[in-house]
Amino acid sequence: MAGEQERYFVNLVNEHQGLIHKVCNLYESDRDARNDLFQEIVLQLWKSFHTFRGDAKITTWMYRIALNTAISGLRKQKRGLQTEDLNERHFNFSETSTDDHEENLQKLQWSIRQLSEIERAIIMMALDEVPYDEIAETIGITQNNVRVRMNRIREKLRKLMNP
Amino acid sequence: MEELDDLKSIWKQQAGFEAKNEGELLQMMGKSSNTIISKLKRSVWFELIFTVACILVLGMYTTTIPHGALMWTILSLLVLLISYTLYYVKKIMLLNHYDSSTDNLKANLRHLLERLDAYMKFYKRSYTILYPVFFVLGLLFGALESGFDRFIHKFENPLYTASFIILSIIFMVGVYTITNWYLKKLYGNHIEKLRTILDDLKD
Repeated sequence: MAGEQERYFVNLVNEHQGLIHKVCNLYESDRDARNDLFQEIVLQLWKSFHTFRGDAKITTWMYRIALNTAISGLRKQKRGLQTEDLNERHFNFSETSTDDHEENLQKLQWSIRQLSEIERAIIMMALDEVPYDEIAETIGITQNNVRVRMNRIREKLRKLMNP
Repeated sequence: MEELDDLKSIWKQQAGFEAKNEGELLQMMGKSSNTIISKLKRSVWFELIFTVACILVLGMYTTTIPHGALMWTILSLLVLLISYTLYYVKKIMLLNHYDSSTDNLKANLRHLLERLDAYMKFYKRSYTILYPVFFVLGLLFGALESGFDRFIHKFENPLYTASFIILSIIFMVGVYTITNWYLKKLYGNHIEKLRTILDDLKD
């Protein structure tokens, strides 16, 4: 039987597990590796649960541990789709059908996976509307540096998505 | 910024992940970790147990041999192994205190690299000391087994001495090369990867 603290933790993770899935999707392209990373992140969150202060934002705490686990973890480097496969297709933001939404999303995820580990972390948080001061705090760089990097990332994504 | 808003709207569409249920999450909480720190901890525990076992075996062996050069050699080795045991205990305590949740990504990478670097340096220093010690011990046991005078007498033959020196060099170079390769395979590539990521974080 799970104790009260376990239940509270499971509820919190359950509520925010989309965040963990996003980290896994961006740092692992293989399904099994994604599941392993998911498990490792949950385990690290549980081990560090005593450090979570109720007054802090749960997502900031989760991002920190999830990204630390994903980036510093031992894993084989694998990339997503091959560049040439995507070069054959053209990405268009103005399309609105469901299929195009799906294609746009896949292309965005693929493009983000081509970025460096740090750039992936920054753009993921930015797309999740995390304020720049929180991104800076999670990564350990200045807010100004986050802005500079964001400009570079946007430029890279533009090129990747519109080859 | 309009472009970023476009990306955000695409990003928000993702919902197709397989949500884990409460039972799965509870199960995950009980699994063993595979982070580099956990692997390092397991390695250190293995080395600690192995070293303690060696201490016990050698300790018991010393009670069965008479006073003399061999006993003092084994006692010196025991002192060396005990100092290693203390190091392993200290290392395990340090690794137990490692907590990635309190540091930001940059600080976490820096601390992780410091620990891995320290571990690699310790290993290199260890086998720089231990391999020659074990080699000399092996010779000593061999000499005692075949009779010390007979053993020394063999070295009067220059061909035997030259062969002995060449084989010793090949053996030592071989074990150092294998150990270096093994350490690099185990942690070296990962250290390089972490260093590259940390370099990427320089302002």
